[in-house]
Amino acid sequence: MDVMIHRFAAAARAAGLRIATSEVLDALALLPRVDILDEAQFAALLRANFAKSRLERARFEHLYHLFFHELREDLHASSAPVAPHVEDFRRELISLEPPSEALSAIADFLAADPAAYLELLNSLQSEGRGAAGGPRGAGANLGGLVRRLPVLRALQRAREALDGFLAANRSRIHWETRRDLERHLAGRLETARRLLAGEDPLRRLTPTPLPAVTETYGELGRTPFANLSPGERVRLREAMAQLVRRLRDQTGLRTKARSRGLPDLKRTLRGAVRTQGIPLELRFRRRPPRKGRIVVLCDVSGSVWSTARFMLVMLYALQDCFDRVRSFVFVDAPHEVTRHFDDHEADRALTEVLHDPAVPYGAPTDYGRTLRLFRHRHLDTVTKKTTVIVIGDGRSNYGNPEEAILGEIRDRARRLIWLNPEPEAFWNSGDSEMRSYAVLCNEVRVCQNLNQLADIVRNLVL
Amino acid sequence: MPFSDVEATRQTLEAAGYACSPEIATVVFLAAVAGKPVLVEGPAGVGKTELAKAVARGLGRELIRLQCYEGLDETKALYEWEYAKQLLYTQIAREKISDAVSGAASLGEAMERIAAEEDAFFSERFLLARPLLKAIRSPAPVVLLIDEVDKSDPEFEAFLLEVLSDFQVTIPELGTRKALHVPFVVLTSNNYRDMSDALKRRCLHLYIDYPDAETERGIVCRRIPGLSRRLAEQLVAAMGRIRALDLKKTPSISETLDWAQALLSLQVDSLSREVVLSTLNVICKYRQDAQRVRQEVERVVKFP
Repeated sequence: MDVMIHRFAAAARAAGLRIATSEVLDALALLPRVDILDEAQFAALLRANFAKSRLERARFEHLYHLFFHELREDLHASSAPVAPHVEDFRRELISLEPPSEALSAIADFLAADPAAYLELLNSLQSEGRGAAGGPRGAGANLGGLVRRLPVLRALQRAREALDGFLAANRSRIHWETRRDLERHLAGRLETARRLLAGEDPLRRLTPTPLPAVTETYGELGRTPFANLSPGERVRLREAMAQLVRRLRDQTGLRTKARSRGLPDLKRTLRGAVRTQGIPLELRFRRRPPRKGRIVVLCDVSGSVWSTARFMLVMLYALQDCFDRVRSFVFVDAPHEVTRHFDDHEADRALTEVLHDPAVPYGAPTDYGRTLRLFRHRHLDTVTKKTTVIVIGDGRSNYGNPEEAILGEIRDRARRLIWLNPEPEAFWNSGDSEMRSYAVLCNEVRVCQNLNQLADIVRNLVL
Repeated sequence: MPFSDVEATRQTLEAAGYACSPEIATVVFLAAVAGKPVLVEGPAGVGKTELAKAVARGLGRELIRLQCYEGLDETKALYEWEYAKQLLYTQIAREKISDAVSGAASLGEAMERIAAEEDAFFSERFLLARPLLKAIRSPAPVVLLIDEVDKSDPEFEAFLLEVLSDFQVTIPELGTRKALHVPFVVLTSNNYRDMSDALKRRCLHLYIDYPDAETERGIVCRRIPGLSRRLAEQLVAAMGRIRALDLKKTPSISETLDWAQALLSLQVDSLSREVVLSTLNVICKYRQDAQRVRQEVERVVKFP
C-alpha cells in the first residue's frame, strides 16, 4: 500500500499538483488509522493531505479516479496470468527503434505507472514557457495540435506493436490470456488517448457564480460603454466624477477615524517614564487602514478598450485610496504605462497610451504570450498585498491560453479579479478562453456599463 | 473514547448536534489522531465554525476562539504585558524596592540587586494571555478555533506557522512555552484569498459545500425539533430552488435554520406563497435578492 501511495504522489506531482514530502509522510503515517477497504475514508485521507484548495481538488478527483479506478480495476479482473506479459510488452515497447520519450512513457503507463505520461502531458500544456517570443503567425494557432502530434504517433506505434506482439506470441500464450491481455492493454491505450485529447478536469469545474450588481444608475447605468452617444458620454463623466468624490470622502472619513483610534496604553506609559510615571501625553494607536496595491493588466484591442479606459480613469482618479496603482496595457505583450498616468491627467495619459509607438495595436491579441512575458518581466510587481485586475475578453486567437501562469500570478497575489466587457452569454464561444481563466480567478465580473463599473470600484475601495 | 475511529467520530459529532458526511468525520478523526490542524474551506454559512463547536462539545473541551481580521497582530492574538499593572505594583511596592537597594555600596550594586529581582516584574502575573497563548498554556486540552483566517494579514499568517507547527510560543522574558496538550485546531477560511502553501502544508484540508437535500433536512429536523416532517421537506426543497436563482448572497444552512425557526414561531404548517413573501427577510440579506425571489415565488413554492 505504501508503494501505491508513493506512486500516486509521484503521478500527482507529474500532473502538476504540488505535494510536499511532508504531506506524503503524513498520509502514510495516518494510513493505518483508517479502514482502507472503505473507499470514502481512504479517499478522504488522501484528499485532506494532497488537495489543499478548490482548484487542486478538481485535479485531485480526476487523478484519483484515473489512478485507483481506471488503472486498477481491469488488473483485478484479469489477474495473474496477464501480468507477466504486460511486463514483457513494456520491455518490448521500450526497446523499439527508434526510441522516443513518448513511447517509453506510454510503456510505463500501460504497466500502471502513469507518472511519466502525465508529466509528458503536463509539459505539453505549458510548453513554450522557456521560449518566450516563440514562433508567431499563422502556425501559432495550431500549436497545441502540433505539440500533441508526436504523442499521438507514439500511441499509434504502441497499438501496432501490441498487434505485432500478440501475433508473435500466438503459440506461446494461451488464447484466453491473450484475449484478456489485448482487452486490458487496448483499454489502457484508450485511456491514454482520452487523456491526451485534453479532458482537463479544470474545465469541468464550475467557476464561482458572478455576483449580482447594485443598480445605482438608471438608464445611463445600463447602456454598454461602447454604445454611448456623445451626450451620454458627458453625463457618464459627471456621474463618474461624483462617484469618485463620494468614495474619496468615505475613505477619507475612515482614515481620519482610524488615525484617532484607541489610546495606546503601552506607548503612553512608556512615554510617561520621562515624566516620572505621570502620563502627560496621551498616545493613540495609529494604524492607517491597509491600502491595497493594484496592478491592472489591460487588453487594449478594439472592443475591450472602451471599457478599459473608463476603468483606468476611475482607478487613477482614486489613486490616493490605494497604495500604488501600476498599469500595463497589452495586445500581444505587456507594456507598462504607469508613467503616463503619473505624469499627466488621466485623459491626456490615455491619449498618450493610444499613440504609444511601443504598443503594436495592429497585432493579433495573444493572452498566452502576454502572460508569459508578464511573468518574465514584471512578476515582481505582484506581492501578497497586490490585487491584480485583468480587463479583457479572453479572446486569444486560438493561441495557447497559458492559464497555468495566471494561476501562478494568483498564488502570488492577494486577489485576482477578471473583468470582462462581454456579456456572459458570449463567453466560452469561439476563441474565448474564459472557461480556463475564470476558474482560476478569485472573482470574475462582467464590466460593460456604469452600474457594473461603479459596483466593482466600490468593492475595491471600501 | 469519543474519537477512536471514524465511525465513533461520526457518532460523537452527531451526538453533539452536527450531522456530517463520512468525509468530514474522516478528516476530523485524522486530525485528532495526528494532532494536526484542520483548514476548513467553503461558502459562508455551511457550518465551518459550527464544526469546531461540535468538536469541542463532543470532546467535552473548552473552545477558544480567535477571530481574524485585517490588522490583527500578535499582541491581540498571543500575549501582552500588562504595563499598567506592572506600574501600579512598582508604585505600591516602592518601599520594598528602596529596602532592597538600601545599604548598597555603589550604584552598580543597587542595580545588581534590582536585576536579581527582575523576575518579579516579568512573571506570568503580569502576562495578559490572548487566545493563542491561552490555548497553549491551558492545563486541560482545548479546541482552538481560528476563524476567517483568510481575513488576516500575510504577516500574521507567517506568525501562525510557528505556533501551528510546534505548538510552542517564545516569550523573550520568560522563555519558550510548550503546549501541555496539543490543542485540536480548526482554521476556517471563506476563500477571500488563498492561504500560503506553507500554512496549507501544515494542515489537513477539508472543503465543506452546500449539503444535499437529504442532509439538510436531517440538519433542520435535528436542530429545530418541533418542525413537522412535511414542512421540513418543503423548506429544504424551496431552499434548493432559491439557491439556484442568481442571488447576490446565496442563502446557506444557517439561513435555512433561521427560516425554520421563524416558521415554527409563526406556527405555520405549510409553505405557501404568502408565507414565503412575509418571511423573505430571513433568507435574503439584500433588497435585490428579495425582489428576485419575489418574482420567482410561484416556482419556489410549487410542491407536488
